[in-house]
Amino acid sequence: MNALEIRSLRKAFGGLEAISNLDLTVPYGQRHALIGPNGAGKTTLFNLVTGWLTPTGGDIRIAGHPVASGRPDHIARTGLTRSFQKNMLLESLSVLENLRIACQATHRARRSLFRSKHAFGGVIAQAVSVAERMNLVDCLGREVRELSYGQKRQLEVAIALCARPRILLMDEPAAGTSPSERARLVALINALPRELTILLVEHDMDVVFATCERITVLNYGKVLATGTREDIQTNPAVIDAYLGRRHA
Amino acid sequence: MQLLLFQLLNGLQLSMLVFLLAAGLTLIFGLMNILNLAHGAFFTLGAYSGLLASAATGSFWPALIVGPMLPFVLGALLQYFVLQPLVDRGRSTHLDLALMTFGLLFATAGAVELLYGSAFYSIAIPSALSGQVSLLGLSYPAYRLFIVAAGFAVAGSLKVVVDRTLIGATLRAGVDNREMVTALGINVNLLFAIVFGVGAALAGFAGVIAAPVMSVYSQMGIGIVVTTFVVVVVGGLGNLKGSFYASLIVGMTDTLSQAYLPDAEMFAVYALLIVVMIIRPQGLFGTVSRVA
Amino acid sequence: MTGEIACARRGIAAVPNMRSPNAGRVLAIAAASVAALVAAVLPFFAATYAVTLATEIMISGVFASGINLLLGTTGLVSLGQAMFLGLGGYGIGIGSSLLGFPLWLSIPATLIAVGVVSAIVGLICTRTRGVEFLLITLAFSQMLYGAAIKLRITGGSDGMSGIPRPDLSAVGLSSDDPATFYYYVLVATAISLLGLWRIVNSPFGSVLAGIRENERRIVAMGYAVDFYKVGAFTLGAVVCAAAGILQAQYTYFINPDSMSWQLSGEGVLMVIIGGASSVLGPLVGAAIFVLVKQGLSILTGDYLMFFGLFFMLVVALFRGGVFGAIRILLGARI
Repeated sequence: MNALEIRSLRKAFGGLEAISNLDLTVPYGQRHALIGPNGAGKTTLFNLVTGWLTPTGGDIRIAGHPVASGRPDHIARTGLTRSFQKNMLLESLSVLENLRIACQATHRARRSLFRSKHAFGGVIAQAVSVAERMNLVDCLGREVRELSYGQKRQLEVAIALCARPRILLMDEPAAGTSPSERARLVALINALPRELTILLVEHDMDVVFATCERITVLNYGKVLATGTREDIQTNPAVIDAYLGRRHA
Repeated sequence: MQLLLFQLLNGLQLSMLVFLLAAGLTLIFGLMNILNLAHGAFFTLGAYSGLLASAATGSFWPALIVGPMLPFVLGALLQYFVLQPLVDRGRSTHLDLALMTFGLLFATAGAVELLYGSAFYSIAIPSALSGQVSLLGLSYPAYRLFIVAAGFAVAGSLKVVVDRTLIGATLRAGVDNREMVTALGINVNLLFAIVFGVGAALAGFAGVIAAPVMSVYSQMGIGIVVTTFVVVVVGGLGNLKGSFYASLIVGMTDTLSQAYLPDAEMFAVYALLIVVMIIRPQGLFGTVSRVA
Repeated sequence: MTGEIACARRGIAAVPNMRSPNAGRVLAIAAASVAALVAAVLPFFAATYAVTLATEIMISGVFASGINLLLGTTGLVSLGQAMFLGLGGYGIGIGSSLLGFPLWLSIPATLIAVGVVSAIVGLICTRTRGVEFLLITLAFSQMLYGAAIKLRITGGSDGMSGIPRPDLSAVGLSSDDPATFYYYVLVATAISLLGLWRIVNSPFGSVLAGIRENERRIVAMGYAVDFYKVGAFTLGAVVCAAAGILQAQYTYFINPDSMSWQLSGEGVLMVIIGGASSVLGPLVGAAIFVLVKQGLSILTGDYLMFFGLFFMLVVALFRGGVFGAIRILLGARI
């Protein structure tokens, strides 16, 4: 059984075929990158997998089970979480509170009405440990609004880790970050537990090559090629459509 | 059968009146994301302006022209000097602006009461339209048909202007990408102010043509504006086509239910709203908003 | 306290902003304590007029707090909350005036009934958001307002009179006495605010705050947001109904005007003035509002128009309300 299995996926918006006949298989523990030009359908694919959009055709299976489209919260609770391309943070709350709420989501206490949220030490401890892993401990008390863009991107990924997912989808985590922040991000990703399956959308090929063993190239909603770094770098169609001569 | 036809025509007339209001509201919201809760005030204002005009000239027709003028001016000024500056200062959530217009609703309700008290006035139907028209074996007041015709005329013109003219395209572009349109040398603020004015003028126009069949009184905007809100939500906020069809549906529902179940009053309309909200929360013609 | 222990175990210095005191916070608590003390002994040194004004302020404060759970905490702007205020008043009107049940039965029965009705209304309304939500709550409230006018049993537009106050003869007191009724309302207000404070600081409340900040992210975290939104709607409605009960007992009277959109608007204004994001803010906003309204009605009979202008000014100028402004100045975190 694979972590993620997509077969003959189609998504049409009126007359526009955003995704056509897409097949993708990601086994457990794999670090898989999804690359391609803007508009190739990468974020649409993420939205389909996480239940924000309903497929027009085809089949998506997470851990062998078909995806319940229209219920992104269900999908998150089954162990597949996602970080977003544009920061989706709880802006006027503190970093700790952002993480705490994220960790609380899978906790039985989350519907508790009359007990103080501070009483659930396990949830808080979990949030702090995620912060440690993502190098955010120093800003736990600060409001998200006050963070630098790079720190916000880190928090964006950190929130997705709080639910202790088995599969993590990351949508352009390095977008807009400085070279040093990017290097830190690569280290963070590589430090994540090996059992965690990762599907990564990225434009920065250095980040891709440093973290992922398998790459799928998307173009106009179709899979152009899939394989290892070498396969992709030498594939003429990929070079034409996306990579250009430098990475070849 | 004749009674049914009579009621259907009444329903059509109400639908067109409500459409004039809904069109203004939708135009303003669809293009500028502002929900004008005080829209009923323009309706009332138009009626009172028309009242003054027809009393001064002794004729109905000047009222048709004068009636929408004050709402147009006030609407444009409101948008240009109050609402747009708020948007520019960053207090721009739809809710802030809607609340602002909610305050305006209070203010105008109070102002109208202050100026006119709670007396009822009326505008006389013009002699040209005071007769009856024979329609499918039924004798129906000509003036009411005039209202229906006016509504359709406005609907048609709006569709042409918004879809097919340069102004309409500029408006749609201005909402999508302000900076781009401004960079093209078009004064977006002025454009928005004019559109708001047009929306208000439509409400004022509705007030004038409604005056001969409803009474003119300080609370006249309130009842019809609630129906308008229902129409706008059922049709899908910001959707002109949706407003048109929803006006027809809601107007017919209201008239027919009141004719056959007089005690029900607005309940049929509210029931319709509830059913639509349960089945299709974005409105019959609305689109589900974009995702992550 | 367990959060701090968790941090300490890791050798991390106490996490700032987690219950650590600072000047602003101490000041705010001090101010609140003084106010509470004054409230506790007010009838002993103030004139009857002041006592009844304070009673009105507290009732309005409870109403505004109920609205705030939806508006300030969850970010759902409803312009129809007065319908629950009215339902509260009509509930005990029907229960005690009409059907003759004792208050200790009709009050809980009313609150439960409003809970059920508001849950149903909430289920329908929360299918929309933002501006549509605003409109549909307004429509529902107009619907109930229309029903109240039409229903003969409840007196139509004349309403019902003879709403009973609690019978305190067993302890030798009469709640017709303004001071006694004041204390009754004070206790009810304290209980409501305490309850709301617990809810806001609970896990449930933290999710509400998250929904206000970024609903989509909360969904992506795995929360079934509908439960929380309907929950907030219902809890807020029950608090508004409690205010309605107190209001009806205060005036011995209930009529459809208690369900009007004007009253909903007043409630929202109180929340905006007081600062939407704290538990005491609505009470402060209510105090300012009631006092301003009293002042305006002395000066002029044209209350509605000036109120509207005042409303517009407040919306335009107050970012986070008076309380929000104070918080920014003092850096307090209540």
